[in-house]
Amino acid sequence: MAKANIKDINRNIYDFKNADNYDFKIEKGLNREIVEEISKMKNDPDWMREIRLKALEMYNKLELPTWGPDLSELNMEEIATYVKPKSKLNSSWDEVPEDIKDTFDKLGIPEAEKKSLAGVGAQYDSEVVYHSIKEDLLKQGVIYTDMETAVREYSEIVKEHFMKCVPISDHKFVALHAAVWSGGSFVYVPKGVKLDIPLQSYFRLNSPESGQFEHTLIIVDEGASLHFIEGCSAPKYNKVNLHAGCVELYVKDNAYLRYSTIENWSKNMMNLNTKKAIVGKNAQVDWVTGSFGSKVSMLYPMSFLNGEGAKTEYTGITFAGGGQNLDTGFKVVHNAKNTSSIVNSKSISKNGGACTYRALVRINENAKNSKCSVSCESLMLDDKSRSDTIPVNDIRTDDVIFSHEAKIGKISDKEIFYLMSRGLSEEDAKAMIVRGFAYPISKELPVEYAVEMNNLINLELEGSIG
Amino acid sequence: MDIIVNETPVRTSKNYGINNVKLNDIKIPEKLNEFNNAKIYSNKSKISNKIENEKLAYGNGKILEDNVYNNSNNILKIETEKEDIKIVYEFDDNNLNLINNIEIIGNKNCNIVIEYKSNTDKTCFHNSIIKAIAKENVKLNISIVNLLNDKSLNFEAIENTLENNSIINYTIIGLGAKTSITNYYSKVLGNNANNDLKSIYLGQKDELKDINYIVNLYGEKSNVDIDVQGALDDNAIKNFKGTIDFKNGCKKAKGNENEFCLLLSSKAKSKALPMLLCTEEAVEGNHSTASGSVDNSELFYIMSRGVSYKEAVKLIVKSRFNKIIERISDEYVKNEISDEIDRRLG
Repeated sequence: MAKANIKDINRNIYDFKNADNYDFKIEKGLNREIVEEISKMKNDPDWMREIRLKALEMYNKLELPTWGPDLSELNMEEIATYVKPKSKLNSSWDEVPEDIKDTFDKLGIPEAEKKSLAGVGAQYDSEVVYHSIKEDLLKQGVIYTDMETAVREYSEIVKEHFMKCVPISDHKFVALHAAVWSGGSFVYVPKGVKLDIPLQSYFRLNSPESGQFEHTLIIVDEGASLHFIEGCSAPKYNKVNLHAGCVELYVKDNAYLRYSTIENWSKNMMNLNTKKAIVGKNAQVDWVTGSFGSKVSMLYPMSFLNGEGAKTEYTGITFAGGGQNLDTGFKVVHNAKNTSSIVNSKSISKNGGACTYRALVRINENAKNSKCSVSCESLMLDDKSRSDTIPVNDIRTDDVIFSHEAKIGKISDKEIFYLMSRGLSEEDAKAMIVRGFAYPISKELPVEYAVEMNNLINLELEGSIG
Repeated sequence: MDIIVNETPVRTSKNYGINNVKLNDIKIPEKLNEFNNAKIYSNKSKISNKIENEKLAYGNGKILEDNVYNNSNNILKIETEKEDIKIVYEFDDNNLNLINNIEIIGNKNCNIVIEYKSNTDKTCFHNSIIKAIAKENVKLNISIVNLLNDKSLNFEAIENTLENNSIINYTIIGLGAKTSITNYYSKVLGNNANNDLKSIYLGQKDELKDINYIVNLYGEKSNVDIDVQGALDDNAIKNFKGTIDFKNGCKKAKGNENEFCLLLSSKAKSKALPMLLCTEEAVEGNHSTASGSVDNSELFYIMSRGVSYKEAVKLIVKSRFNKIIERISDEYVKNEISDEIDRRLG
């Protein structure tokens, strides 16, 4: 029988690399001197410096996870945790150095900004090199800036929220992040302000044997609304790079936040990222996540439904090809009455790739009349690959409706037969089925990413005898 | 002694508290007298008491496994003939500790019911290993019925091997014991082999039920079907861990797993980790878990017929359990189970 060959994701548009030109690259490794030096270069206030040093202590205390993908290739002695590019922070693309601007041009960021974004942040290695926001949003009191500026100019609000949603003791790589963080975005949407078009931050890591540790802090105040898009990529090098970013989202009462991510790191990247949201009364956070890149990913966005009537939805797709071990999923804690969560996850494994859906649903004793529905589907495209589903469901009260279902399997012969009986070739039938499998998730990804999506999942089928 | 038992085959974050269960101050008896209140009803099968002690693939940890291999006070090797076998272990004031080691060699189709019950109010200790092999084309129906009193400790380690075209239908009735730990592992080696596992649990007061079912599918067109129905009342805690592992080469294998937990109290805690692991393309795997309170419309319907709330809840619980209890071939044991549920749910 002719066997469909579904191609790997086309990475040509991400794998270009610039010369490793930098203004400053900190020595490899991790110790107090390095953390102090980063803090000094950033001109941190004392409270931030203290957080960094406390986090370093925590990092040294905490163990590596005893579960999940193998992290033995990660050697912090080989990673430079801070690389300052040859660029200051600019508010015009014309001021960004040519090679860096060219990078973001190729990634389509300035073009997207013109067409469909209300603001853009662009980070290159450890620093944000470009940030902009539309004038009318500024007038409404919306703040969208890089984290360093926020620490200086909005010190009180940052201090109140920084590493509070994600405590430094959460796990080893959160502690690492807090010790050496650099770059990232800060967003504040005032009460009642609703943004019609999204803000987008893009993170590009160019320097080999380095790490990116950007911090994203978003506060959507009462009754406000925001769609935030995060993109990330890096060229491929032979040695391991590390991404240990941190995202903290505060969605206040009656507010709405949609957080979309296209993660497309190169296949030498250890992506050990942490994202959490605290959701207030009748507020909602929706996560839309596409995980395609990285050698190893451990990424489990988390929602704390702390306010009565809070809601969350997770929609995620993971595509693992050869040499990739993508361990992704979602965590939700129901902490108040009448809260609800919906999880819809899909994964595709091919050519020796490994996908794991790992999750937690916890419905606490105080979360009366809460509901949670989880659906998880995995598609195996060959017998060299691996697909695992490892969800934990922790129900601590009786007044709940909770259901979880998962499916794993290959493309159904019956479906192929049906489509072929309608005149499609076997290859076209398989292509249609795989696209159909991914569609419920991919349609939720930002429209402005549609072209990129087509490049990301190149579900082009080729005939070969299998 | 503090012990850690019932490790999952694959770990997840230790913060979730489900990779294993830690039990504190467990008194594990050693050097016991023979258990004198065991009754064996069998006419044809060959029953002896010499067993080769091979290490379990999973089990309840080295301490409890060694306890069985070194201190058993009841050993049974059953080489099956076509018949119904019943083994009843009745704990009493003179027989409070049972460490038993059972090996079932499935040469011929056979129904086997193994029952543990307490005829005492004192704490009973039970630790067992039950290994079964279903030879080619053989069908074994094995039922384990745990009706121990609510002060007891119950540890079960079960290991099955299935050859070509064999069937093992396992039924586990987990009503008894304050702490009940069950580890079940099936190695489905044969092509067209079929492992069907159905179980019920009922947790009350501050009881703990820790259930760990693992089925590895190796054979082509092999099949596993797991269905677990449970109810938790008061402060009871249940951890259900169910793993179906599709091993490379198990082409056209199918695996289904379903767990439903009826929550009868706002203090009861239900944790579930239903895992599907897969390294073979041509398979179908499904799992589902659900938890919730008694459905109000069902309650309303039954109560509108003049039935009290308590009786209505009992009926709903029993209706979920009955399809599994019905699988047990022995009518007397079936009635004992029904009576025990009635007694426990008041």
